[in-house]
Amino acid sequence: MAVETIDFSVLLKDLPPGAWVAISELDRRVVACASELQAALDQANAQGETDPLVVRVPEQAIGLIV
Amino acid sequence: MPAVEFPYYEFRIKPSEPFPNGQVALRPVAVAVLVASTGKRLRCLVCLDSGADSCVIPSNFAPVLGLDLSAMKTNLTSGVGTNANVTAYDYIEIDLGSGIRFRTYAGFTPGLNALGLGLLGQSGFFELFNVCFCHKQRRFTVETS
Repeated sequence: MAVETIDFSVLLKDLPPGAWVAISELDRRVVACASELQAALDQANAQGETDPLVVRVPEQAIGLIV
Repeated sequence: MPAVEFPYYEFRIKPSEPFPNGQVALRPVAVAVLVASTGKRLRCLVCLDSGADSCVIPSNFAPVLGLDLSAMKTNLTSGVGTNANVTAYDYIEIDLGSGIRFRTYAGFTPGLNALGLGLLGQSGFFELFNVCFCHKQRRFTVETS
């Protein structure tokens, strides 16, 4: 059983670094973008997207070691 | 043993002095739905991190999930580049889809706020599931039973 992926390099390309983004998983498109997570969710809800995927635009496209 | 297959996500990293052509990082990331004890939920990304002692998520997810960080038990956690992060714990349910759903005692840490994604660690995830990382095939699998 395989799971599909989303190409974030395309979706997040022109969005401001550090922004919270709400993505419609069904449509594979950005539905809201804000500096605060709750604001992004509120914007998404206002557009009828009640269960968006939330991601944060990286401040810098740098390597990750956690 | 039945297993769910996930693709690695590609993250493009800008050029730097040691890597003048940039890098493409393959990360074992999946979409997850977090369900808090309040019943509130949030869909986000999680990274399977065998180097993490337990499951941790950004602390700024807490208010969205209806949780009060000040009312939760805390300890200090650290990672590369961060240390002494006050991390607050509560039980949450994590659903990776395809039948992979589990309850875990997760930490809410400010150390992950800049990344905006959660980490699934040894306690609360790897102790529950057998995972196979197949980097060459750009996929990882999680056994479902």
